Amino acid sequence: MELAFYLSGLVAVLATVGVITGTSPVHSVVYLIVSLIAVALVFFALGAPFAGVLEIIIYAGAIMVLFVFVVMMLNLRADAERTPPLWRQPIYWLGPSLLALALLAALVALITAGDIEMAIDGELITARAIGLTLFGPWLMVVELSAILLLAALVTASHVGRRSDPGHSSTPRNAPNRGDTP
Amino acid sequence: MLTLTDLVGLLPLVIVAATAILVMLGITWQRHHSGTAALTVGGLALALMSLPLAWAVSASPPLMMLDGIALMGTVLTLASALAIAAMSPHYLTGYTGPQEEFYLLLLCAVTGALGLVASNHMAMLFISLELLSMPLYGMVAYRFRTERSLEAGIKYLVLSAAATAFLLFGMALLYARTGQLEFGALSAALTPALTGGPDPWMLGGAVLIVVGLGFKLSIMPFHLWTPDVYQGGIAPATLVLATISKLAVFLVLLRLMMVVPAFESEWLRNLISLLAFISMVGGNLLALFQLNLKRLLGYSSIAHLGYLLIAVVVEGPLSVETSGVYLFTYVVATLGAFGVIMHVSSPHHGEDAADLHHYRGLFWRSPWLAAVMTLSLLSLAGIPLTAGFIGKFYIIALGVADSRWWLVGGVVAGSAVGLFYYLRVMVTLYLPEPGSQPRESIEGRHKRVGELTLMVIAVLILLLGIYPVPMIDWMAALARAA
Repeated sequence: MELAFYLSGLVAVLATVGVITGTSPVHSVVYLIVSLIAVALVFFALGAPFAGVLEIIIYAGAIMVLFVFVVMMLNLRADAERTPPLWRQPIYWLGPSLLALALLAALVALITAGDIEMAIDGELITARAIGLTLFGPWLMVVELSAILLLAALVTASHVGRRSDPGHSSTPRNAPNRGDTP
Repeated sequence: MLTLTDLVGLLPLVIVAATAILVMLGITWQRHHSGTAALTVGGLALALMSLPLAWAVSASPPLMMLDGIALMGTVLTLASALAIAAMSPHYLTGYTGPQEEFYLLLLCAVTGALGLVASNHMAMLFISLELLSMPLYGMVAYRFRTERSLEAGIKYLVLSAAATAFLLFGMALLYARTGQLEFGALSAALTPALTGGPDPWMLGGAVLIVVGLGFKLSIMPFHLWTPDVYQGGIAPATLVLATISKLAVFLVLLRLMMVVPAFESEWLRNLISLLAFISMVGGNLLALFQLNLKRLLGYSSIAHLGYLLIAVVVEGPLSVETSGVYLFTYVVATLGAFGVIMHVSSPHHGEDAADLHHYRGLFWRSPWLAAVMTLSLLSLAGIPLTAGFIGKFYIIALGVADSRWWLVGGVVAGSAVGLFYYLRVMVTLYLPEPGSQPRESIEGRHKRVGELTLMVIAVLILLLGIYPVPMIDWMAALARAA
């Protein structure tokens, strides 16, 4: 179990280095996926399977798909047009593949080691325990997180607005706006 | 578990959050600027009025601590928010985009501040701090069609995220050593292997947390965002940044230093003393030749937080009282100064009127505004008979009592430098009026409410300076309850 923890941690660090040194956004995103899966494995190794599953479902699943879509929609430069020959060169897929293989090895080693509850060193934190904590003593934190999300949503919808009638540095339309909208 | 008593104890927070929801529903139903502003002011006033009830039940909700510091922070936050909400409608009148979202964001930020000052747990601290910062990104970048406002918003967002990373890493280090997140339990003594001397990991965690909070307080090495964000953000957002955000983060830092065993270290105190010293000297020196009033007030806020850090460095019950008195006087004076900027910049025409030449001859155009501005600046400079003098007196007395001579010297030198640039602004107000066009103003209900608020603030500055006994008694009572 120790080996799985340290191996996944190492993979996470290396993959994150790949994210920030990558020149192409798509490559960075692929490294980021590997990094997130590695972090999920770290959670498993520490005895928090629920956090690990959430990490995969939410981050590696939902959020990374959004990332990939956005990158694909925005990345329409001319040099991206000649991709087909590029992906065949090993330098573009070797790094993430090796890291993912290392993760797979750790996972296989874990599964073949036998009973998963025996393999985990620490206390096992189940989804039930998390739910009882969140909606028991931590209720205020959950409520404040809800308002945090509301504030983030309002901020994004305000700043992302397109149909603004124009910024108000043109004084001609400013004075005739009374105090009613 | 959260009981009914706890909910009554948290009544101000619950009311403010409920008002935010109401405002959101109101906006989806029908946009109405005056109505939204009135609802916001009403909700904040109701929260303020519910305080005696909430304080009477002596609740202790999980993860939170409703003590004197929390009450002090709640009152100051709600009162500042009330003043900001009362002065904003006149400012936003000329804004051609949607105006109502501002009040929604303000209420969300206030909810975060109320949670922050009462937090007794790292998770609570983190979520509340994020809840305080997240609406501020939107408020600073509210006028996002102008370049400066958007730039300010992005700068604050990116740098704030970096500071949050420091904060989280610090918490992770403390958690790794102790396995606890509750403030009182964060003690190195829980790790049995330790023998003598401060634990470097605990100390590292504490320093990282101070860095993260120091960014929000814009103390000296982490201050680089301050002038740009102060200048670029719309004036009410800058005001929230200068009052609510700073006072809430400062009070939580004070609580950390008082309660958390990991922060009990002479080494850390010396480090904070150093930060305080360079903040008060550096902030004042950087403000010296500013021609933009908002930038100038930004740098001066760095210096004021430097003075305030003395209360964090010095231990003992007097430090809470001093923090309370100084925060009160600083917040009132800042509200006055920015209130005048908001008033002069109204109605909204793109950039705020923040250059000094906009204020040249303000006395001859609107003597009342010039008088309020003069009072606020005198109070910020710490001249006797204004509120600021009482605060500065407390700070120096605290420094002398603990024989922190370097810091006292810094306060004196900083105040002398500060006097110069505050006086420079004041002189500008009374110079003969230039030929430039003053902004046209819209008469109406919003303007009268804003003027009334400014008058109350000005009277408060004078009253606190001449007869500060009630405030001091109140703060002393809160310090005993902390």
